[in-house]
Parts: sequence; structure tokens; C-alpha cells
Amino acid sequence: MKPTPLHPAEIAAARHGSLNRRTFLRGLGACLALPAFESFRPLALQAAAAPASALTPGGAPLRMAFVYVPNGMIQSTWWPGGEGSDFKLAETMRPLEALRGKVQVLGGLDHQNATAGPDGAGDHARASGTFLTGVRVRKTAGSDIKAGPSIDQLTAQRIGHLTRFPSMELTSDKVRKSGNCDSGYSCAYQYNLSWKSEGTPVSPEPNPRLVFERLFGSGGPGERANNLLRRQKQQRSILDFVLTDAKDLQGKMMARDRAKLDEYLSSVREIEKRIELAERFQGKTPDPDMETPAGIPANYAEHIDLMFDMMVLAFRTDSTRISTFLMASEGSNRPFPEMGISEGHHNLTHHQNNKEMIEKVAKIDAWYMERFARFLGKMEATEDVDGQSLLHNSMIVYGSGNSDGNRHTHSNLPLLLAGAGGGRITPGRFAKFGGQPMSNLLLTLADQMGAEGIERLGDSTGRLKGV
Amino acid sequence: MAENGATASYAKTIEPLLIKYCYDCHGDGMSKGKVAFDGHASPGDLVGDHKLWSVVLKNVRAGLMPPLEKPRPDASEIAELEKWIKRDAFDLDPKNPPAGRVTMRRLNRREYQNTIHDLMGIEFRTDEEFPPDDTGYGFDNIGDVLSLSPLLLEKYLKAAETIVSNAVPVVQWVVPSQEFSGRDFKRKDDAGNARRLSFYDEAKVERTITIANPGTYRVQIELGVRGAFDFDPGRSRFAFSIDGQEKKSDEFKWDDGRRIAWSTEEKWTPGKRLLAFDLKPLVSRDQKKSSVDMEVVSVRIEGPLEPEFRQRPENYDRFFSGESPSTPEERRTVARKVLLRFATKAFRRPVDPAFLDRLVNFAEGEYNAPERGFEGGLARAMVAVLASPRFLFRMEDTIRTRSSKGDPLVDEYSLASRLSYFLWSTMPDDELIGLADRGQLRKNLSGEVRRMMADERSREMVGNFVGQWLQVRDVEGVPINSRAILARDEGGSSGGRFRPRIELDRATRLAMRRETELAFDYVAKMDRSVVELLDANYTFLNETLATFYGLTNLNVKGDKMRLATLPEGSPRGGILTQGSILVVTSNPDRTSPVKRGLFILENLLGSPPPPPPANVPSLEAAEASVKDHEPTLREALELHQKSPLCHSCHSRMDPLGLAMENFNAMGLWRDQERHQPIESTGQLITGEKFSNISDLKRILATARRQDFYDCLTEKFLTFALGRGLEYYDVETVDQIVHRLEANEGRFSALLMGVIESAPFQRRQTAKLVAGARADRKPEVTSKQSPIHETDTASSR
Repeated sequence: MKPTPLHPAEIAAARHGSLNRRTFLRGLGACLALPAFESFRPLALQAAAAPASALTPGGAPLRMAFVYVPNGMIQSTWWPGGEGSDFKLAETMRPLEALRGKVQVLGGLDHQNATAGPDGAGDHARASGTFLTGVRVRKTAGSDIKAGPSIDQLTAQRIGHLTRFPSMELTSDKVRKSGNCDSGYSCAYQYNLSWKSEGTPVSPEPNPRLVFERLFGSGGPGERANNLLRRQKQQRSILDFVLTDAKDLQGKMMARDRAKLDEYLSSVREIEKRIELAERFQGKTPDPDMETPAGIPANYAEHIDLMFDMMVLAFRTDSTRISTFLMASEGSNRPFPEMGISEGHHNLTHHQNNKEMIEKVAKIDAWYMERFARFLGKMEATEDVDGQSLLHNSMIVYGSGNSDGNRHTHSNLPLLLAGAGGGRITPGRFAKFGGQPMSNLLLTLADQMGAEGIERLGDSTGRLKGV
Repeated sequence: MAENGATASYAKTIEPLLIKYCYDCHGDGMSKGKVAFDGHASPGDLVGDHKLWSVVLKNVRAGLMPPLEKPRPDASEIAELEKWIKRDAFDLDPKNPPAGRVTMRRLNRREYQNTIHDLMGIEFRTDEEFPPDDTGYGFDNIGDVLSLSPLLLEKYLKAAETIVSNAVPVVQWVVPSQEFSGRDFKRKDDAGNARRLSFYDEAKVERTITIANPGTYRVQIELGVRGAFDFDPGRSRFAFSIDGQEKKSDEFKWDDGRRIAWSTEEKWTPGKRLLAFDLKPLVSRDQKKSSVDMEVVSVRIEGPLEPEFRQRPENYDRFFSGESPSTPEERRTVARKVLLRFATKAFRRPVDPAFLDRLVNFAEGEYNAPERGFEGGLARAMVAVLASPRFLFRMEDTIRTRSSKGDPLVDEYSLASRLSYFLWSTMPDDELIGLADRGQLRKNLSGEVRRMMADERSREMVGNFVGQWLQVRDVEGVPINSRAILARDEGGSSGGRFRPRIELDRATRLAMRRETELAFDYVAKMDRSVVELLDANYTFLNETLATFYGLTNLNVKGDKMRLATLPEGSPRGGILTQGSILVVTSNPDRTSPVKRGLFILENLLGSPPPPPPANVPSLEAAEASVKDHEPTLREALELHQKSPLCHSCHSRMDPLGLAMENFNAMGLWRDQERHQPIESTGQLITGEKFSNISDLKRILATARRQDFYDCLTEKFLTFALGRGLEYYDVETVDQIVHRLEANEGRFSALLMGVIESAPFQRRQTAKLVAGARADRKPEVTSKQSPIHETDTASSR
């Protein structure tokens, strides 16, 4: 494991005997090359009840994450040359060169349910709505959204009790257009990757400060665990109170109002469960020796990096094992002035083979990839409880629900699988699956995580062999 | 009317009409646009196809169907069709249009923030703390769509805790205090303040304070050292003095965000005191590498500390009665009184006695806990109130009546909330609730609406409605590349180094948003015709916006937006020429006549084309086929339209958008694009010809006025009701449009039309609307009688 080179500021900080927030964050990977904190040792190591498949041979937990990039990828710069372990990374994946042996490029996986089919326009809404659910989402702008439970949530519902948080949903997209979204589809499909059930998306959190406080409590280092505990206790008494109240109201309502109150009730129960879980982890709440992030950084790259840092932190402290990260909502039309690209991403992807536009999209594809590569670098530099790297013990899917953004195709999706799943999967390859549902991959990952009893997902036809 | 009657009248009067005018394309095997009138399984199915008849009604009324070149029904035939659809196919009774039923609405972010402000007296930034609300039908206050995830509930719980701890004092007495920030400490020459003092500049900043009472005072200072990311060798000596006498000092070096706390106690007599900070550099400027500054974060003066000067904490009277009960019984009585007042206000309606009992029990358990205190215990109960579904949702009730005609009226508390969340996006004030208590709100409805519109808070309705209807909320965030846009206007696609830089900066964007809001506000407050939204000889400007638009001869000065009459012949005036709309309907680097046309169809005329098919070729593809010059957008669009697939919709959108081509993607006027003069002539699909934007505005305001009334009414009603409109709402919309017509389009006709409409005043309970979803079960009315039963009964 190579240490990350020190940033000049870190050297300056070291010389002056202090390590401030920014240097800490920037050097997170480097710092964590130290043995993992004993106090962060996952409880699963002690809990015999955990399904065996949720642990690596070395006894560390497995982690699973999904990172979403909007608008597909330029095909010619995405797909590697060669096949199997003998492959050559193309331009978009060049930032991954140093981690070539840790990633697996997945070819030939499709989401048929994202194609137009009977629903007509709206490929962007479908691309993200189908990505982790595998289902054909209902075309509606309002009252009756319907996707399906997503694989991360299904997994969290089965193994989420093993960690303080069943799952963590992140985004670095904060611009939300008012009005309707893609071609008569509700915005819910484009702004959420995770779906708890058919009708309930799980909104991702854009603010790193709030993510951090939710994981570790508010306040400065040293006082967070107590703050968290006190808050949970107080919450509990309030929850008991409102639960009785809501139950009382429930009988007096008409169907659709009752459905709203049911949402309230199931949310209350969900939080109660979480508090019960937290109480079982009492005294085990980690408290990272760093300041709480201030908020959403103005700079987009910094924002993405900070959200990735939160993911590393959550995984390393075993606060959760499942995460999704929507880097930008599907159809995002963000320009990239940081690279001199003034046109919006989405507009550019409809390039109609205009060379200049293709080049710009390829640059954007590579820009997102650089952020991902930085994250993988940190995961690789962080040692897990079993002495392996955090990346080794993870399965991280990176990709888009659109293949060719120009033509809105959803077959041969651009997908990467980083990490070795604790040794169960074989990275360092370009694997071609020849046209199977991506849902098969999702089921296989859930299996690895020890989530039992998920028979099917969307259009799945089985498990994906040879990952 | 029974279905059999409807099928009979269909066969008799409607089918012949359809055969005559529609079957060429929509019958006898033809089904253009997937519409056919003879493909249903039975006549009953056809008559009951509400979706189909809604489309027919819309298209025929808008003059879109039958198409211009085909034979068209005359006015009496159209009237016959309209009447049949409404009366027979939809089974509507014009005297009692159905109320429909809004799903219980959760407060959205904005409403929550405003409600907390009014209830608790503090600001709570929901845009930072809560995830954005989902939107439906174009608005973010739609009951069906406002979901409540565990994540959001967790945030509500946390917010309730934070709000109560910030707003509700848990002690009876506090020491008086005053607090200042770095900004309040100024240099003598007023050339800066103590928010940021460089370690390389000698500085003295000061502030004079007034002391009213003699006694002991504590001065608490918080400082921060703000270094740049990279190390800087700067060091300084920083000192604090009172009336020229140094009290604290220290040396500081580069750091990032270190906080320092200083504190000193003083005996003061009444009079003025001069507080000052001095900074002396210790390293010369030529060694400076990056930067390091001192920030005075806060200076807090507490005192006199002597007990005789203690005060009630701020906000104390808002929540508490000031009594200090001693026995358990007394405490319970006071707790009951305090919590009844609070919960009644928070729930915006009388509190269920059983709930109040439970709440008092809860408070008792809390204030009896060690170290909590009486006020502290009551504060916990207030947290429970703010976390209750009764606070987070808008619970409504109806008035039970014996008459079976129409849907029952909502009770006056529900009406008060409907009004206040519609017009103010916040809870009802004391006057509304007071009227509801006495059952007098309905009797004073128009007076109350006038009062509410005159109130400052009606800005919320303007901002939230206009912000979403016309998407002007987005103008502050959309990416715009001024270089690329200006380059296009001037011909080249790159270069142009010597062009004056015009940027769409924050101030301009804000002014644009305000321009649109104020134009609407003006029409609303002055009760002018809503048609002025489309075409007017005035607009709202401040100096920034007037300069940006090039309207420099109007002599608009300063930051404040004001009404400005436009010069004769000016193309500005009306929604279509406002910067906000022009910008949000553009791409980052160029205008988009398609988006602009679509915007007009969707939001002003209410006849959006169907969404585009998959794999549409882009405009840039059309551009690529022109080899000899860089084509204008009009040329590119004309090429694009050649495909018949594209033509059917673009012939509706593009002419509208192209009429606006004289305004670039930043909303600036231009005469040419890529060295060619802008062509703004065109023709609407309904036949009206125009030669420029002013013509188009006039056409929309006259020939298409009915469409605009209809569209605006639908949008406003959706926003007011918090639900999407259903086929059966056509009767309500028609009545409001009729009222607008009869009152020269005055805003009050629209506003009162909406407020007095059945869906706003009433609510469907047991009766099922024909064809409505079968899952709507009859509502079980509350078993418990509200505390104010006797009061409300008078209104029944």
C-alpha cells in the first residue's frame, strides 16, 4: 500500500504542529493507513448471529455502494480494449490506471425496463428510476408514483440491523428545477436512487454536515457520543407520545388521508427501531477526531469529494455497510466552467456525432471518474479490521442507467465494479456478460452481503455468474 | 344523468357531429394521435372515457381541433358538444360542482418555516435543514405528493428540539445582555470593520455603547484567527481596551479557524463606554505568503449582574403565564392553561380534550424529572406538539348538515387554514382564528380576503405561485454563459476579446425575479386585469435592471424596484419580455425557441403538445447540415421541422418561441444573430399572424384571451387547492373564467372565484364522484367533540 503523497498544506500543518479540518479531510486516506481504531471494531465480529456471508474470510464486514453518473457515457472512450484480465483502459477510465487491479469493468448488462416500451419519452427519468429497482416505473407526474424497492433498501431491510444505520443515501446535486421533470414523469424518479417500497423513495442528503451529525452526533470531538445518546433518549419519549396520538387519529380518517398517516406511523416505527438499534450499540458510537464539516462547499468537486469522504468515514467506522450516492440527478444539465465547458451536460450528450461535443462529454465523463478514482484511492489506503484495505472488502458499483446519452439506449450499460468483495469477486478484469439484466448483478451483490430471501428484482432472470 | 341517458344523447346529437368533423382522422379505422371515437368496447365505455372527453373539450375550445385547414363546427355546434360533455359525459350539475377531495397536506418547507416564525417567533431555515419537497402538477404544495419519509420525520424531530430550545426560555429570569458582531466595530474613517482585520495592517476599530444602570458587567469576546489554506508567516499583537485602558492582549500567528475567548468583569456607572480593538503587525508585509486575518466574532455584554436588574427572558410571555405554581395541583393547572393555548395555536384548531389530557400528563412526567424545571418540562411537551401529525399535517373537518345538496362545507377553522396557507403560506393569524371561533369567517369572507391581500404576508402567495407557475424561482440558479451568448449575437462563435463584458450577476437575476413578482403583485393589489400580465406598458425596474435592459432614459435610480412606465413602442412589458422568463427558457449558451414556445403553450395557453418521441435528432444535427455558413436558430429549426414527425408539434411551439428571438438567452434585446437580422414574424397554429413580439403579445391578450384565462385559472386553482385538477373540475374552472370575462379580467374576480368555489369551500366526504377512485371510503366523523363545540355550532 503506497502512502498518498502529502499536500503542501499538510506539510505546513505538520511543521506547525496542528492539523486543521481541511488538511484532515484531505489527508483522510493517509491518516487512516494507521491500524483501524479498536473502538471502531465492528460489532459483527462479536455478534455470532450475523450471517456468515456478510463477513469476509478475515472476519471483516462487507460493504456495498452504488455511485450514479447521469446521462450515460461516450461509448468510444468508455469501453476498454481486450477482454478478461488482458484489457486496456480507455480514456474515460484513465484516472483509474493506478487502481486497475481493483476494478472490474462490466460489459453486456442491460436495463430493458428503462427503454421507451409503451411509455414513450422520458428515458432520463426511467434510467435512474430503474437503475437499482429493475422495474418499469409508472409514468405519472403526481399522485401515484410507483417504482419498486431498490436493491440497497432490500439489503438494508435484511442486514441493516447489524450496523448503527441500515443504509446511507447521499447526493451532491442541490439544484432542483421547479415544475415537472422529464416528459411527464415525477421528479421523484430523477432525484432518488433508493426506494424503500414501490411508492416511497428515500431522499438523499446533500449536506455533508447533516450526514456527519447524523452518523456521529453534533458538537465537537469528544462530546458527540453523549449528545447522540441524550438526543435518542429524548426522542424516544416524544416518539411514544406522537405514536399514541397518530394511532388515535388513524381510525378517524378517509383512505387517502390514512395513507399519509400510515407514512407517518411507519416512519415513527422506523426511527424507534433505529433507536433500539442504537441502544444496542451503546458505548460503541465512534467519534472521529475531526471537526464537523461546515456545510455544502461552493465548489462542486469539493462537494463530491466531501460526500465521498463521508462514505469512507461511515464504512470505516462500520456505521453502515450500504450506501448510494447520486452525484447528479439524471438529465443534469450542469455546465462545467471549471473545464471551460459552458454548455450543459445533458444538452451536450445529444451530440449527434458532432466531434467537438463528443469531446466535451468525454471530458465530463472523465471528470466524474477522477472524483471516483480519488475516492477509491482513499478506500484503498484505509486499512480495515482484518488488515485488508477497505476497498478490498467492498463492492462498489459505478455507472449510469443510460448507455449512449445521445440515443438514449439502456443496453450494455456503462458499469464498473470496484473492490474484491473480501476476496469473493475477482477484479482486474473486463468481464463481458453478453446481454443479461443488470438486475441479476444487483441480486448477486445482495447475496454476497448476506441478504437472504430476495428471489427476484424487476426483470431479473437469475444470478449473475462469473463476477 | 344516468349512463343510459348519456349514451342515448350521444347517439342522437354528438355522434353525428363527430362523424361530420372528426371521423376523417379519428374514426372508421383512423386513429391519429391514438385517438378514435369508435374503438371502445361499448357505448357506455366511450361515454365514460373521461380522459378522452377532457382532451376533446380542451382541443376544440383552444381551436386546435379540428385543424385549421379542415371544416370546423360552428359556434352552436361547439356549444352543443361542450354542454354534452359537461352535463352528460361528466354528469356535472352547474349549481353544485363537485368539491373533489384534497389529500391531507403536510406543511411544505416554506409553510413550515413561516408557521414556525409565526408560532414561535424565531427563524428556522428549512431550506438548509429539510430536503426539498417533491412537486406535482408543477407545485410543491400538493397533498398527494408531499410524502413523509423516515429521514424527514427524523429531521422534523430534530427540528422540533432545536426550535423549542432556541425559542422557548426555560428559566423565569435572565441577566440583561446586549450582543455585537465584528461588523459593529468600525474604523474611525469608516474604511472597514472588525469582521476581517489583516495581520499586516495596523488597525483600530471601536464601538461606543450606552450603559443605563450602574452595576457589575461581564464582557465576553470571541475572536477567530482566519488563515488562508496555505501557511503564512504573519503574526500580530491584538488588544482589547475599554475607554482607552487595555484589558486583554495577546500575540497570534497563522491558524485556520482557531477560536479565542476573552472575558472581563467591570464595575460601570451609567453613561457611554468606548470599546476598542487594536491590531499591531509583528511581521512586515514583504514576508507575506498567503494571508491571515483576525475576526472579531462577537462581543457580548451581560449586566448588571445584580439580581435586582434581572428580566423576563425574550419570548417568555409568548409561551408562559408568568405564574410560579408551587403545589402539584397548581402546577397541573398552569401546565394545562399554557399547553392549551400553545397547542390550539399550533394545531390551528381546537384541541381534542383527550389529547390535552395526554399532553399534560406528558409534561408532568417531564417537569418532575430531576434538573428539568417547570418551564423545561413544558418545553418538552411543546416539542411533542411540534412533532405531532396534528401540527405537521393540515387536518380538516367538515360541517355536518342535513341538506344533501352538494358536498359539505369545511369547518371555519379549515377554511381559515385554507385561506392563510393559500395567501400567506403560513398559519392563520389571531383574527382569522377569532372569526372561526365565533363562526363569523364565512360571513366576512371578502373583507378578510381584502385584508389578507393588503397584508405584507401576501408576498408569499405571489412568490410561491409566480415562482412556480412561471418558474421564476429558477432564474437565480440557472447556469448562463454570457460570453457564449454575446459571441453568438455578434457573429463569431469564439474570440471577441474586446467586447464589453455583460454578466448576468446575482443582483440582476434577483431584480429579474422581483420584476415578475412585482408585476403580478401590482395586478393583484391594484385589482387590474390579469391580461396586463401578458401585455402592459409598464414594468418594474431598479437601476441595475434598467441599465441591463438598456432602459437608461427612464431615470430609475437605486436598488429599490419601482413601477416604470415604458417608452412608446418599447417591446418590453408583460411576462414574455421579462428577463426571468427569457432566461429560464434558454439553454446556458443560446436561446431555445422550442423551450420558449413550450413555455407559452404550457403555462399561458394551457395546451402543451405531447412529449417528444425517443431519439429525436437535435438542432445541432440540423445545423451540421448547413455547410456554407453558421445558421441562425430559425434556419436550424426550419430544417428540423422538415421531418413530419417533428412538424406536428414544432409547428405549434416554434413560431411562438421565434417571435421572442429578439431577446437573447440573458434577456437582452438584439437585432441580429450570427450576422443575420432576426426574423420574428410568424403564425399561430390557430391562424393568427404576427410580425413581432408586440403583435404576439396583443394576440395572446385579445384573440387567445379565453385560453389564458382558462390556463391561469387552472394553475391558480391547483395552487390554492393543493391537488391536481380532475375532469370534473371543468365546471368550477368554467365558472371562474366566466366571472373573469364578466369583470374585465380583474384579479379579484379570479381570486374570489377560486376562494368561493366549491372545491375551496367544501370537501367531498361520503359521496363518491362518478368514476372517482373506489378506495375513498366514507369519512368517520370525530367521536370526540372539540372544546369549542358550542362556538362552532353556531355556524352550522
